[in-house]
Amino acid sequence: MDLFSELFGMLDGFDNLYSVNAMSKGSKACPVCGMTYNEFSRTGKFGCSECYKTFEGEAERVLRQIHSSSVHSGKIPSKSGAEVKAKRRLNDLRKKLKEAVANEDYETAAKLHSEIKEIEGGLK
Amino acid sequence: MIWYNDLNDGIILSTRIRLARNIDKTPFPSRLKDKTKVREMLSDSILKSNSTLSKDFTLYELSKLSQSEKTAMTEEHLISPQMINDNEGAVLVNKDKTMSIMLMEEDHIRLQIIKGGYALDEAYDLADKVDDVMEESLTYAFDEKFGYLTACPTNAGTGMRASVMMHLPALVMTGNISRVLQSFSGMGIAVRGMYGEGTNADGALYQISNSITLGLSEQEIIEKLKVVVNKISDMEKQAREMLMNNRKDDFTDKLMRSYGILKYAVKITSQEAKTMLSEVMLAQNMGIIECNGKMTPLELMIKSAPSVIGGKDNLSPDERDKKRAELIRENL
Repeated sequence: MDLFSELFGMLDGFDNLYSVNAMSKGSKACPVCGMTYNEFSRTGKFGCSECYKTFEGEAERVLRQIHSSSVHSGKIPSKSGAEVKAKRRLNDLRKKLKEAVANEDYETAAKLHSEIKEIEGGLK
Repeated sequence: MIWYNDLNDGIILSTRIRLARNIDKTPFPSRLKDKTKVREMLSDSILKSNSTLSKDFTLYELSKLSQSEKTAMTEEHLISPQMINDNEGAVLVNKDKTMSIMLMEEDHIRLQIIKGGYALDEAYDLADKVDDVMEESLTYAFDEKFGYLTACPTNAGTGMRASVMMHLPALVMTGNISRVLQSFSGMGIAVRGMYGEGTNADGALYQISNSITLGLSEQEIIEKLKVVVNKISDMEKQAREMLMNNRKDDFTDKLMRSYGILKYAVKITSQEAKTMLSEVMLAQNMGIIECNGKMTPLELMIKSAPSVIGGKDNLSPDERDKKRAELIRENL
């Protein structure tokens, strides 16, 4: 990495922290509801669910500020969340697999491994 | 049974669980032009569902309710104060008024369970079930990382606000209340008065709720809230015992005097009524007074609020004070 890209990396970090380049960011609008970043920072409220994607960086920063976390770990809706559920289950299984290997419990590890493969197959 | 008639130990009065939900690919109510179509789709998710819930709920369109009907619903916590001036929203309420589903409030759906006493798990289970029924015909706005997406980022994630209403008169009387409540700041718990934001908790009624909705599961949020509520409840019990053991005559005299005034006053302001009803509620819980009237002190507190007493007839403050005193005299 050269000096320039390092510097730019630093600026990006500042940008995330303080939202300094308000000119370009402020006028960025959500394609679904037309909400701009300026409006969001004025009202503190989003116009639609797509705004969370449009202003993802800002959304993440604000959520972290409010909740000290930006990662949901609660209920998952059954319809729109089937894939998320499978992914969460995969993460759990992978964690268990690591533990089993660390404990040299290869029988459990083999079982977990085939279960993981099965879920991965379903997700593709 | 409506929440204010089903109190348990007189310290933890009621429990509320609220879930905020929105529909995918549809602007939130503040930016939605044609609200009627979406609102109908939302109410159909209950009224036309195969669940037994469909027969339990009645739909009220705000545009068809009078101002005084809306005020009464606010006092019963079935709609939010913001909805009083709203003519585009609607609310679904079940028969025993323990469930209300506000449509087109800040979010498309604000599902609320409200129960008397201390019933967080029970209330959440019910909210969870109703949520599942609605989801059968709706597609929720949900993000793998951020969870349920809401208009205000303070609700995102679980979309859940769990709250417990507590009556803490002994902590107020002994001057300990602010110290107690401050000790829980920074724990993701919010405390506010029963009648809205701000610190002023008339009638020693406090709402204790989670302020964090993201990063913890619903069960974790509820367990955290329970720890705080149980601690506050223990402290209130201790303060009550202390007052009874160390200052019995002054303490009971104060409570009995309030009872006397409520029983015989011709005029009473809202502020005075709330304070005294709170003291009578305390006396009743501690077995000092037995109230056999038609309404509980808490119900009277709700029904004697200025907005309810005033109702649709434009009463002057003086007339309201007379009407309030009469209501309390007759029903306490």
